Amino acid sequence: MRPLPFATLLFLACSLAGAAPVAQKSSPGTGGGKPVPQPPLVIPPGAPPATTPPAPGPGETDETAALPTPSTAAQDLYSAAKGDLLQIRMLLKNGRSQSTVGSGFLVGTSNLVLTNYHVVSQMALDPDVYVGEYVDTDGKTGPVELLAVDVLHDLAVVRVNREGTGFFQVPDHPVRLTQGQYLYSLGNPLDLGFAISEGAYNGVITRSFYDQLIFTGPINSGMSGGPSVTVSGTVAGINVSKRRDGESVSFLVPVRYAQELLRKVAAQSRPPKNFNPLIAQQLLAHQRDMIDRLLAEPLSIKTMGPYHVPVRESQQLRCWGRSNFRLEAEYTGDSVSCAMEAAIYVSDTQQTGHVSMSHTYLRSASMHPLQFAALASSQFRVDRIGSSRDTRLTRPACTEQFVHTASLPLRAVTCVRAYRKFAGLYNFTLLTASNDDGNASLQSRLDLAGVSFENGMRATRAFLSALGRSRPRAPTQAARR
Amino acid sequence: MSGPWFIETLARNGDVLQRSRVDTLPIRLGRGYDNEFIIDDDYVAASHARIVMDAAGRLVLRDQGSRNGIIHRGKRLPEVVLSGDTVVRIGHTSLRVRAASFPVAPELADRTFHRWEGALPGAAGVLLTGCFALFARWLSDTQYFEFVRYFEALAWGVGAALLWSGAWAFANRLFGRHARLGRHLFVFGCGLAALAATALLAATIAYAFSLEAFTHYASHAATLLVAGMIYFHLCTVKPQNRRRYRWIAAGMAVLGSSLILIFNLQRSGRLADELYMAVLLPPEVRVSQDHGIDEFMREVEGMKESLDRGRGRKPGEDELED
Repeated sequence: MRPLPFATLLFLACSLAGAAPVAQKSSPGTGGGKPVPQPPLVIPPGAPPATTPPAPGPGETDETAALPTPSTAAQDLYSAAKGDLLQIRMLLKNGRSQSTVGSGFLVGTSNLVLTNYHVVSQMALDPDVYVGEYVDTDGKTGPVELLAVDVLHDLAVVRVNREGTGFFQVPDHPVRLTQGQYLYSLGNPLDLGFAISEGAYNGVITRSFYDQLIFTGPINSGMSGGPSVTVSGTVAGINVSKRRDGESVSFLVPVRYAQELLRKVAAQSRPPKNFNPLIAQQLLAHQRDMIDRLLAEPLSIKTMGPYHVPVRESQQLRCWGRSNFRLEAEYTGDSVSCAMEAAIYVSDTQQTGHVSMSHTYLRSASMHPLQFAALASSQFRVDRIGSSRDTRLTRPACTEQFVHTASLPLRAVTCVRAYRKFAGLYNFTLLTASNDDGNASLQSRLDLAGVSFENGMRATRAFLSALGRSRPRAPTQAARR
Repeated sequence: MSGPWFIETLARNGDVLQRSRVDTLPIRLGRGYDNEFIIDDDYVAASHARIVMDAAGRLVLRDQGSRNGIIHRGKRLPEVVLSGDTVVRIGHTSLRVRAASFPVAPELADRTFHRWEGALPGAAGVLLTGCFALFARWLSDTQYFEFVRYFEALAWGVGAALLWSGAWAFANRLFGRHARLGRHLFVFGCGLAALAATALLAATIAYAFSLEAFTHYASHAATLLVAGMIYFHLCTVKPQNRRRYRWIAAGMAVLGSSLILIFNLQRSGRLADELYMAVLLPPEVRVSQDHGIDEFMREVEGMKESLDRGRGRKPGEDELED
């Protein structure tokens, strides 16, 4: 098999939690519960969903006995749990047609339902447009009321007009799991019907900014927000996402965050009217933590030719390198890019709380300086910094100057956009190009999504100051050539 | 006023389509063959009108009882006094009658440089276009040298020049007398060279002196040059209308610039063509001083206020602040 192209890898690395949130989305055109597979990387099932398998051909046998006997544990669990398992739908207020579908479960004997934030995000962000509804395994429906959200861990608590049977116990103390232990994940995959899938717990992932459990079992769109339980029925985690490029590599939110959120719900007298300021607060807390962690120690320095470039390589920020040496070109271009593998899901079209940085070192011995200048200019031209028509952000404001760091003169451009809905949050982009050599160019880029202005400035300054070169070029040397 | 008289049929734009000389009055006009001046027009009667001298010695066109009559300035009249500039319509035909003594305008001074016609300016224009195409190709060439890429660029450049100038030459033949393809090629070549030189100069000034406006608004200089090019093409077609063409070209430049501004505003909420200056030239070109990081960060901090103001506005209501 051909190795994945770098762009795909980069996309994968940048995509949310390296994984797709598994709330199911049905496009407005297709009415009813017609499931629409997640477009880019979801592995399609053998037959398109909602089609019946073809009748067996003359040579094929149709013996149900040939199927493996279902695990009795799963059988027992499902029959015990199905009363407390719900599907959570977001409906458009006008016309009451569904726009996203996920799962949820009644906690203990209360009327509280735990689910993912991304299942109810539309209701939280635009309560005037969307309204929630639950459907149970018997097909009964009822309204849901949003009580609390935890955007950072992708959790939400809603209230319904019925009570649980007490099957799903959210323990007060952390659940101890051993690697390889069986977990059973419940939900309503692809809006096809309620299902249970079996898999194994495989440790805690450290790549995402917040801990998540690795569950090697199938979780599909629509199962988001459903519980993953041990064989005894104790909730170990909440289904949240899966790797699009993996096979049965899924992720769970550890139950301890759900415990915290439930405690918060118990403490609050009534649910907030507008969730936007609350989400902004949580995002601000996230960026504080993120930038503090990024700048906890000086950025590590890598060398690219004579240049010193700052990077941060950690469990959360992973770096990839690439070169154009295979291209038949008169120049060489090496690049390093580091990006956080996780971002915070705010809405279907907005993810934030993300850091990425990249450096490209271009050089050529044979090109005329004017030719090289044209090449460097075309590389430095980023057509758009985010979508310019993105209405959730203000238009970018940019500052451009020739700046001299301790050892390197460079052209620096900083563009900032503000979030309209979340006061105090901004997207920062820093672009720099070295300006010391007519035949080499170091171009760097730093992107900070969803940071406060102070933190944006702080990280920009740290990144900019760390750019340098080993031996400042003597002017005579520069003039020769 | 005495003969001979000249009857001229006119096109809508005033050009003379046909002129015939009649030596004696009266002159009978109509479709029939017994007329002195035969008008081949289905809307004209066999004996339509007659030109006579009245008592006051004026030349008069009289209707001979035709169905469609004589029209002057949109009105049907039984008779029209003809001065040299009176245009009357008979059926679908516009006519003017002038006596031999009619005074004509003085000759125009000939400023056309007649030696700079034909092959010579044509070759110069093609040469300029070819140089431009090769230079553009060379500038953006990052691959190993291959002859065919340069040949291709040359072919495209010359092809474009011939197409553009050919269209102008066609118009020239239509509205002027000659095609003047060489002149049009030369205008095109000079226009391209000016565009390239301006772009390079703007980039150099912007980079050297840190005057970013030179690249932010570079498209307006290009618009002006294109309007200038069209002005010279128009003057080649009809040199006597220079003054009018000047206004037309200026109008086109203003219109083009406004369209660019509106388009930029619509697309990005800014008047400038680009978000920031992307030009990077060799460091030797730099003249202005470098800034410190502190200074840069202070500038960045200065943007906060306007960003926070923008936050409160609805999307699409971004007002211009820079």
